[in-house]
Amino acid sequence: MNARRHTLETVALRKEYPGTVALRDVSLKCGGGEIRVLLGKNGAGKSTLVRLLGGAVQPTSGDILVDGNRVRFRSPGEAFREGIVTVHQELSLIPGLTVAENIFLGRLPRRRAGLIDWRTACSMADALLDELGLALDVRVPAGKLGVAQQQMIEIAKAMSHAPSVLMLDEPTSALAQRETDRLFTLLKRLAAKGVVLVYITHRLGEIHTIADAVTVLRNGALVGTIPIGEATPAAIVGMMFGETIGTERPPEPPPSGVPVMDVRGFTGRGAYSDISFTLHQGEILGIAGVLGAGRTELLRGLFGADPHEAGLVTIGGKTVFPSSPSQMKKLGVALAPEDRKAEGLVQILSTRVNINLADFWPPSLHWITTAGRERGVAMNYVRRMDIAVPTVDSAVSDLSGGNQQKVVIAKWLNTGPRVLLLDEPTRGVDIQAKRQVFDIVRGLSGQGISSIVVSSELEELMEVCHRILILKKGKMTGELFPHEATLENLISKCME
Amino acid sequence: MTRLRPLLGSAVLEIVLVVLCLFLAAVAPHFLTAENLLNVLRNVSMQGLIALGMTLVIIAGEIDLSVGSMVAFSGCLTAWLTGALGTPGVGLPAPLAVAAAILVSLAAGFMSGALAGLLRNRFGVPSFISTLALLTALSGAAELITNGFPLTPFPGWYNFIGGGYLLGVPFPVFLFVIAFAGTHVLMNYTAFGRAIYAVGGNAEAARLSAINIHTVRTGVLALTAMLAAASGVMQSSEIMSGTATTAKGWELDVIAAVIIGGTSLAGGVGRVWGTMVGVVFLGVIMNGMTLLNVSEYWQHVVRGGLILLAVLINRMERRGR
Repeated sequence: MNARRHTLETVALRKEYPGTVALRDVSLKCGGGEIRVLLGKNGAGKSTLVRLLGGAVQPTSGDILVDGNRVRFRSPGEAFREGIVTVHQELSLIPGLTVAENIFLGRLPRRRAGLIDWRTACSMADALLDELGLALDVRVPAGKLGVAQQQMIEIAKAMSHAPSVLMLDEPTSALAQRETDRLFTLLKRLAAKGVVLVYITHRLGEIHTIADAVTVLRNGALVGTIPIGEATPAAIVGMMFGETIGTERPPEPPPSGVPVMDVRGFTGRGAYSDISFTLHQGEILGIAGVLGAGRTELLRGLFGADPHEAGLVTIGGKTVFPSSPSQMKKLGVALAPEDRKAEGLVQILSTRVNINLADFWPPSLHWITTAGRERGVAMNYVRRMDIAVPTVDSAVSDLSGGNQQKVVIAKWLNTGPRVLLLDEPTRGVDIQAKRQVFDIVRGLSGQGISSIVVSSELEELMEVCHRILILKKGKMTGELFPHEATLENLISKCME
Repeated sequence: MTRLRPLLGSAVLEIVLVVLCLFLAAVAPHFLTAENLLNVLRNVSMQGLIALGMTLVIIAGEIDLSVGSMVAFSGCLTAWLTGALGTPGVGLPAPLAVAAAILVSLAAGFMSGALAGLLRNRFGVPSFISTLALLTALSGAAELITNGFPLTPFPGWYNFIGGGYLLGVPFPVFLFVIAFAGTHVLMNYTAFGRAIYAVGGNAEAARLSAINIHTVRTGVLALTAMLAAASGVMQSSEIMSGTATTAKGWELDVIAAVIIGGTSLAGGVGRVWGTMVGVVFLGVIMNGMTLLNVSEYWQHVVRGGLILLAVLINRMERRGR
């Protein structure tokens, strides 16, 4: 095939949101035939860049050039037409429709009478999958396929637009090793055709397999681009995290070793296996690992929120097989879930009701409750935790992320817990509220209440935790004490 | 005026109801008599009893379509049991036979709702489907019990439950008001009631807050089916027979009253008081139209329009906020 090499260039691309600059005058150049990996920690500006290139948002200033021509997109549709296609991390296939229909959604071939020409659609889809080296029946519903195959269909769908630029946002987070290998083979074949490939990942281990060059963003600005030969772990970590490696505030040494919760052989549905550890009274235990390492699944398993296969938890003198949140609540376990909006709070109800939410069951505890009593409980936490609310009776959906997180924690403190499980407690929370959340966790530690914190922000774990467990592909691969280690140690243990 | 607006906004239906009553009092001389008003209350009390339960079910994010059939089924079951237990062979005295029959009917109602709850929790069958099936099945069961003919085994005093007066007030009205007070307290002053709002508002968040969402769902469905069974007993008492064809389509009247009362079909939002007002509102409208000699056909059209209007007002109120 006669490969035409496409190019993609940005010139001083800038995106401002009220109060913040998400992307600062980024200029970079990618040529067709190479695979460019885009790196940066959360909030570095990777997704803003991808959204700008994909036409989902418009730049404040700066230019995008495709094949040397300046382009300006007002919508993703316009970017499509210019041949810039994004495969997002979340799958967007419609499960009930066939593979062929998903690929050509909205632009299925028609017969003269205006009816859909299924035979042509299927043969076009077949040809497309053939070209990508996929042997799949295009007539099966997309929902019948595994996650990896669905990811491949997403890429096929992107290819059907005949892209000159293909951007992939963490496409391997849901894939197993074998599937990842197949994806990589596919991407290399595409690159050989002259397509510009921009690949975002959190898995540093992948980049030597897939990348030709690495571009690093930090705080919205371009740090630099280096060829893969120079991309040693130390070099990359230095670029991603800057010179200020080391924690701002070394945590106090771990508290006296009175065990409060003992986890043995915890194994669950392919997400994590044979996890054992002991949590001590007042200890703040971090769990570090990349996306898909099984951190969230482990916390939910410990709380009985999702079923797990094997493993026991000893807490409060009882050894149990966690099977429901009410069972674990009785033993003094609490969970602030990752998706605060959808799982932590009932958005249409008030702060008052939400703070009392975990106290509604079993109902016999307080046979008669009153708005006044609920309000008293709520006001107490609002004052103690400095939650900014118009009134405790207004809907919790009006509150900022940080205040919502405090409401979730207040809800659980109201049940008198022994152990608090916090899943990404600072996601979508501003700096000041972040500090406050950690101050609350430290304060609880002082009162003898232990916490387990999962966070993608490794610096945060270094700052707040007494001890950090490393999770990799569902296995516990090590532990680390922040007071005797550096952030770089932690990063290289998690990623590599 | 600006200060009045929030107050007006939160009590639109109450205000409309008062205006409607004033209007009817002016144009229909008979409307504002104690006798007529008590009659309105009695007419709405049997459906109203079910509407109270339905409010809980809808707030919890579920639905019960089987209540109309349950009314017929429970009336027929009560009649049949009263007859069977009172026959010389078994020989229970009439009051005992009636009491036993009523208790069994209420228990049957409870079990039917609990079955819908079990199907929802264990097998993920939406309550819309399971209660649709029950609607048909219970209606058929009522026909089976009665063999197609009304059963009339009741002693004369049985009429008191559905047709009698106590201190000049129709007895069903007492039952309705007591049930209102009970459900109002349940929803506003008990942890179980608060859990109902939480489950309807966000079932996953409620589950992760250690609320037993299965018990909540089963509880509201069982309670409502039991209230429908109680309504069936009252109905059989009023007409002094167990009749399989009674109460057809009640489920829709009941749901309409709940929605007019401001409860959201999406779950998580609603008040028992709103349903009370909605029930009375519909009763007054129907009564007023009858007094004004509006044809029955028109009454149905007006009722349909009211449902739409009430939902639109609710929507606008919520958007305004």
